[in-house]
Amino acid sequence: MVSVHRPSRGYRVFQGINGVLLTLVVVLTLYPFLNIVARSFSGEHQIRAGQVTLWPKGFNLTTYKVVFHDSMFWRNYGNTVLYTVVSTVIAMFLTTCYAYVLSKKHLRGRTALVGVAVFTMFFTGGLIPNYVLVTHLGLKNSVWAIALPNAISVFNLLVMKAFFESLPTELEEAAQIDGLSTYGTLLKVVLPLSKAVVATMALFYSVSFWNSWFSAFLYMDRAELMPVTVYLRNIILGATGGSNAGAAQAQLTQVGANIQAVTIVLTALPILCVYPFVQRYFVSGVMLGAVKG
Amino acid sequence: MKNTGDLSRRQILAAAGFVGLATLAGCGGSGDDGSDGKDLSKKRTGAMKTFGAGERFTATRPLSFSLLHNDNPVYPMKKSWLFWKEVTKRTRVTLKPVDVPLADYEKKRSVLIGSGDAPLLIPKTYHPSEVAFVSSGAILPVSEYVHLMPNYRAKVKKWQLEPELDSIRQADGKYYLLPGLHEKAKSGYSLSLRTDVLDRLGLSLPTTWDEVHDVLKAIKAEYPDKYPWTDRWSTNTPFPCGALFGYLGQAYGVKAGWSYDNISFDTKSGKFVFTATQDAYRAMVEFLRQIVAEKLLDPESFTQQDDQAVQKLLAEKSYAISANPQELVQNYRYNLNKQVKGAQIEMIPVPLGPAGPVVLGGARLENGVMISSKALRTDSFVALMQFVDWLWYSDEGQTLSKWGVEGVTYTKSGNRFELKPGISLMGSDPKAPKDLQKDYGFSDGVFSYGGSWALVSSSFGPDERKFQNAMAQRKQLPIDPAHPLRSDEQERATLWDTPLKDHAIQNTLKFVLGKRPMSQWGDYVSELRAKNMQRLVDLHNAAYERFKKEHG
Repeated sequence: MVSVHRPSRGYRVFQGINGVLLTLVVVLTLYPFLNIVARSFSGEHQIRAGQVTLWPKGFNLTTYKVVFHDSMFWRNYGNTVLYTVVSTVIAMFLTTCYAYVLSKKHLRGRTALVGVAVFTMFFTGGLIPNYVLVTHLGLKNSVWAIALPNAISVFNLLVMKAFFESLPTELEEAAQIDGLSTYGTLLKVVLPLSKAVVATMALFYSVSFWNSWFSAFLYMDRAELMPVTVYLRNIILGATGGSNAGAAQAQLTQVGANIQAVTIVLTALPILCVYPFVQRYFVSGVMLGAVKG
Repeated sequence: MKNTGDLSRRQILAAAGFVGLATLAGCGGSGDDGSDGKDLSKKRTGAMKTFGAGERFTATRPLSFSLLHNDNPVYPMKKSWLFWKEVTKRTRVTLKPVDVPLADYEKKRSVLIGSGDAPLLIPKTYHPSEVAFVSSGAILPVSEYVHLMPNYRAKVKKWQLEPELDSIRQADGKYYLLPGLHEKAKSGYSLSLRTDVLDRLGLSLPTTWDEVHDVLKAIKAEYPDKYPWTDRWSTNTPFPCGALFGYLGQAYGVKAGWSYDNISFDTKSGKFVFTATQDAYRAMVEFLRQIVAEKLLDPESFTQQDDQAVQKLLAEKSYAISANPQELVQNYRYNLNKQVKGAQIEMIPVPLGPAGPVVLGGARLENGVMISSKALRTDSFVALMQFVDWLWYSDEGQTLSKWGVEGVTYTKSGNRFELKPGISLMGSDPKAPKDLQKDYGFSDGVFSYGGSWALVSSSFGPDERKFQNAMAQRKQLPIDPAHPLRSDEQERATLWDTPLKDHAIQNTLKFVLGKRPMSQWGDYVSELRAKNMQRLVDLHNAAYERFKKEHG
């Protein structure tokens, strides 16, 4: 009993080392981000001279003003919000419906439906066939080109299916006896009990849509349709892509290091703000699906 | 026998899928031979009856052509650009741009061409990236249609660019890219030095590599704990210090750095040889090895990021670095002025080496325009070619792309172009409210490159003018003769090329950094031989002989 209240010396040493190591990890993870924040408030030549670490040098807000006045940045930012919201809503709707169906063990053809989903995890049509398909369906240059092809992530689907399977069947039986239809059971009984997994999946989807750039890059033909990630990628990679030597490359370095930093901060900010609030569902959400019985 | 009749549903499905695939593949393979119709008389919608060099192209009826536009983050594309309006006003052609972010331009270009969805005009293509599309038939063998392009032909003839054009021909003797044409080779990179430090030490600017060596030694004597020279352009390239090796190699008459190619033509023996085993290449390696051994060049040069190298320069840890005119003015000098009192930095003409005052050949072709094969099937094909000829190759088109509209964006007196007050170009007037690139769409890298020396040099700042004028005096080395490979040979060459290149570059660095003694040079050559060096060289020589026989 003593050991419960007073941990052994070895254990305390272990905890001490643990604490130090984990603090180091936190510092290592935070440093790059703090550095970017510091850069975003610093002067261009202080950054170039490598003087900025954790604290801004040559503090100024002009870069923020410049970026705030760039209409293309805000336009693309708006696109990102739109694409993320639309895609997440569609993805959540489809994934929930699909997962709920798959969790019903008595359903005939269930294995085939799982098979269809899992098949796409291992085999894809490839870049060009996908492009041809999306183009011929007339989805190009619209939000549907981004939302529809990525609507169901099989990983998320399987996690959700496992979660639904872990709900006691008695609950649903009781609901049916009380006269709820299938949809009623899903909406009024199952979903309210599944807030954890729904929040987790919504977070997964929205983060991945927020950060994605490739499908937009592929299917959008005009700059004003691009999400902010493509804008960001262009000013960062454009400035460091060294292979096309010559005058063109030299001009590019003009997109200042401080402008890059400001854009990164502004792009990462919303996700950073949302994260802490959803995170409490996060652990239980994923774990509940995984650990059964 | 009994089983043959009843196939399961799965088998039928599989078979149907297979047939479908085969049909698709078949479609892809054939069907592109429509280009056989050399009869262009039915494809003259909108074309001018007679169109000669120096004449303005104006379509006889309004036309529009789609165009892949490389969107530079420094001057993002706007629909309101005067460029688009002026092109339409002068030619009655409306360009319909498909906007692609510069960072991933090549990727999207491949997808669009691969899916048959490419715009008609595909500019900003660097040789040899067009080669990948040749076998698919998706892009036009433009060399067959240059007779529709009087300005292009006039410039090729006047500046004697035929040998250069031969170098981009494919095994069928045609070329698939309309390259940018330069009257004179433009040099990009050289060494820059802190002149205030040289003045203080009583040194003058070096003109040869031996003098560079002496100057560096003198700086080292003054600052024994510093590396006088640190360098950059080592990331995102297979050959670290790409710029430095490029201009150092040039002084030795060999291809190195960014210009590196496994195969070089040896004019003495009249044969192709392996680049990284030539005597001159070895001499170059030995020179740099000595510089490194004497601690004159920072060994981190070969691995560090560009930013780190510049930081060392700005923090006065080093006094010399590779430069191009823009970096010199806008980065080094601009930031040094804020950082170090009295600092001055100059870029010197490429120091001379054993090869004498020469520049490498081949620098007179630029990136260029591919044309989709679909263009040939439209009835305005002739007009398209005439339009391309006018916009990219006529003096009027090139001046428009570069400087804009006279009286609106620039004024001209004699041969001097002057931007109108209130318009800036690449920071020429930081207080100006408008920018020639951002607000008007001129000097856009998609449309504006190459041309006569008078036009190219018209936008040089004082530093670049001095540098380019010095470099323009030098003799251009002959370029490698045409030796296009057939597609099966190309496959084999690609297989051998990369391991050889990797091995050559790795060992170049090992020798330079002193990690491998020069006495092992013979071993190095035999290692390359074990990696099929001789077979690669023989392959190219055979192709050279064949091309000589077939195409004279």
